[in-house]
Amino acid sequence: MLADIISTVEFNHTGELLATGDKGGRVVIFQREQESKNQVHRRGEYNVYSTFQSHEPEFDYLKSLEIEEKINKIRWLPQQNAAYFLLSTNDKTVKLWKVSERDKRPEGYNLKDEEGRLRDPATITTLRVPVLRPMDLMVEATPRRVFANAHTYHINSISVNSDYETYMSADDLRINLWNFEITNQSFNIVDIKPANMEELTEVITAAEFHPHHCNTFVYSSSKGTIRLCDMRASALCDRHTKFFEEPEDPSNRSFFSEIISSISDVKFSHSGRYIMTRDYLTVKVWDLNMENRPIETYQVHDYLRSKLCSLYENDCIFDKFECVWNGSDSVIMTGSYNNFFRMFDRNTKRDVTLEASRENSKPRAILKPRKVCVGGKRRKDEISVDSLDFSKKILHTAWHPSENIIAVAATNNLYIFQDKVN
Amino acid sequence: MLGKGGKRKFDEHEDGLEGKIVSPSDGPSKVSYTLQRQTIFNISLMKLYNHRPLTEPSLQKTVLINNMLRRIQEELKQEGSLRPVFPASSQPADSLSDSYREAPAPLSHPASPSAHPCDLGSTTPLEACLTPASLLEDDDDTFCTSPAMPPAAPARVSPPALPPEKDSFSSALDEIEELCPTSTSTEATTVAATDSPKGDSSESSLQKPEGLQEGRPDDSKLMDSLPGNFEITTSTGFLTDLTLDDILFADIDTSMYDFDPCTSTSGTASKMAPVSADDLLKTLAPYSSQPVAPSQPFKMDLTELDHIMEVLVGS
Repeated sequence: MLADIISTVEFNHTGELLATGDKGGRVVIFQREQESKNQVHRRGEYNVYSTFQSHEPEFDYLKSLEIEEKINKIRWLPQQNAAYFLLSTNDKTVKLWKVSERDKRPEGYNLKDEEGRLRDPATITTLRVPVLRPMDLMVEATPRRVFANAHTYHINSISVNSDYETYMSADDLRINLWNFEITNQSFNIVDIKPANMEELTEVITAAEFHPHHCNTFVYSSSKGTIRLCDMRASALCDRHTKFFEEPEDPSNRSFFSEIISSISDVKFSHSGRYIMTRDYLTVKVWDLNMENRPIETYQVHDYLRSKLCSLYENDCIFDKFECVWNGSDSVIMTGSYNNFFRMFDRNTKRDVTLEASRENSKPRAILKPRKVCVGGKRRKDEISVDSLDFSKKILHTAWHPSENIIAVAATNNLYIFQDKVN
Repeated sequence: MLGKGGKRKFDEHEDGLEGKIVSPSDGPSKVSYTLQRQTIFNISLMKLYNHRPLTEPSLQKTVLINNMLRRIQEELKQEGSLRPVFPASSQPADSLSDSYREAPAPLSHPASPSAHPCDLGSTTPLEACLTPASLLEDDDDTFCTSPAMPPAAPARVSPPALPPEKDSFSSALDEIEELCPTSTSTEATTVAATDSPKGDSSESSLQKPEGLQEGRPDDSKLMDSLPGNFEITTSTGFLTDLTLDDILFADIDTSMYDFDPCTSTSGTASKMAPVSADDLLKTLAPYSSQPVAPSQPFKMDLTELDHIMEVLVGS
């Protein structure tokens, strides 16, 4: 079912919950089992906690076009009470959902009976106080806010500010700042729409707030640039504070240079000192203090460089891969084709290619590193470039905030891998 | 992707290709470059126009494709402003058809450029090329951009500005005829006689290519009508003066469609779906009422193209 294609994956701030959004507008939340002393070997597996329909398909009558219900992004709010809050968005509308547990319910109402029907007042002879009685645990999700009608173009990112009072939503040409309490207006903080749309050559591809400085955010573009903006400088942050761009390598120039330089994801490190960007063939780490080039560049699948025309023809070149940091910012991870995903250790400079597939993923099986063969001679376990399955793409991955647990979305399957160290 | 034989090597031209910058004066490499460029141009156009989504198309994708088209047009424009007399095709269809008949034979013949689609360029410049992208990629000089053309470059193989006195459309048909004597001649003459069931569109499409080919400062026409309706869908706006049938019509070289053994024996089930002629036909097939058989490439004939043009442009 097409509707089951996972379109976003996100751990919450403690890693206790893992949310996925899919193409059908559904959100599924997994919760980690409490580790019990009795069952030591069940190391906290993730089970389904809640499922709800976040967005429905809509129809834009003005343009005669459907608005997809696909969930583009989910972002958790930090937990402030017993309930959990998350933002989920499709192309046009952001919603704030409250996910809460109910394990007690009141019984003994005076005016209503247990089924909720009104009692005949004539039969009421005594007054009683309702009491709370335990019930089976129920997890319910309720939409608390709907932030609509603020985006002409397709929303590609949402990011919660470190002040926990505001968040931003970014579409192809504009970024808006919202207050969680106010749904009928937002501030426009970036607008790159040209007066004449025929002059449009660049769009916004991703945006994120700094993890600690609530006035700072970055956004990336389809031309491979990143702009860092400070909201204190002006209300409309069209002028960047910093501009990150790597000069083009002339030996690698091709017709597709621009397209493969388009940044599909940008993420601050947990420390706030670095940003990581993903373009079609590489992942780059930038130091916020150095704008003229990244400090690290990792090749994700450089063997595709000679296949760019085919990938352009079949649209794969437009695939938007995401990238993630681990909790300590020492390892970065991103997806590739053939259900492969890659991890790069920034300290040891080692990298590994792993595959998310049913065959390889019996519980507690160890993942075997994979290798793509580019030269003539293919070794036994290697796979040749021409045998790669480009329909099996891993676009969305997530890393637990503190432990070595990763979630990998492979089309309509979710894989959760844990480190076997302990 | 081009059959299971030995890897073709473009040996004799390799030294010109070091560093992947193609020198414009390097004959066959320049041809290859131009061929690649035209292919990408055509693919880009098809992307913009063949796509009828129910939802709004991705603005990012549209912008990137438009940028690609603009870049190519800029290059063409620059070349156009430098370009000299265009040699009449002295090496006419004979050698061309020879090269295609040779091709199915030992693909392992490494040095033979005859199996190489680049050859198209030397005799039929840029009337190529709905060339399978995969064939081009086997080329050692991977897709590359040349830096600004030095003015001295003769650029022999730039876009078809055939001498004005020649009716290039019918000459294209002639070439096609020579290559596919059986199936196409009747169709070609049918269309030439403007005796097509589709009436208007075929007539207009007949006239326009002639006008187009007359001088490719029509590139400037393309330049003027550069894209744009980003606001709504991309269905309108990119080429307003020119209708699409000019481009597609003029550029289709059916000799590639005859290249059956090549595309069908590319055994390795490459999951990358290279753009074989088959795929192109299938892309266009939904618009036509008859199923398209890959073995009869030119069955997807001009009248069906008219129909497609109607759908794409008229709606």
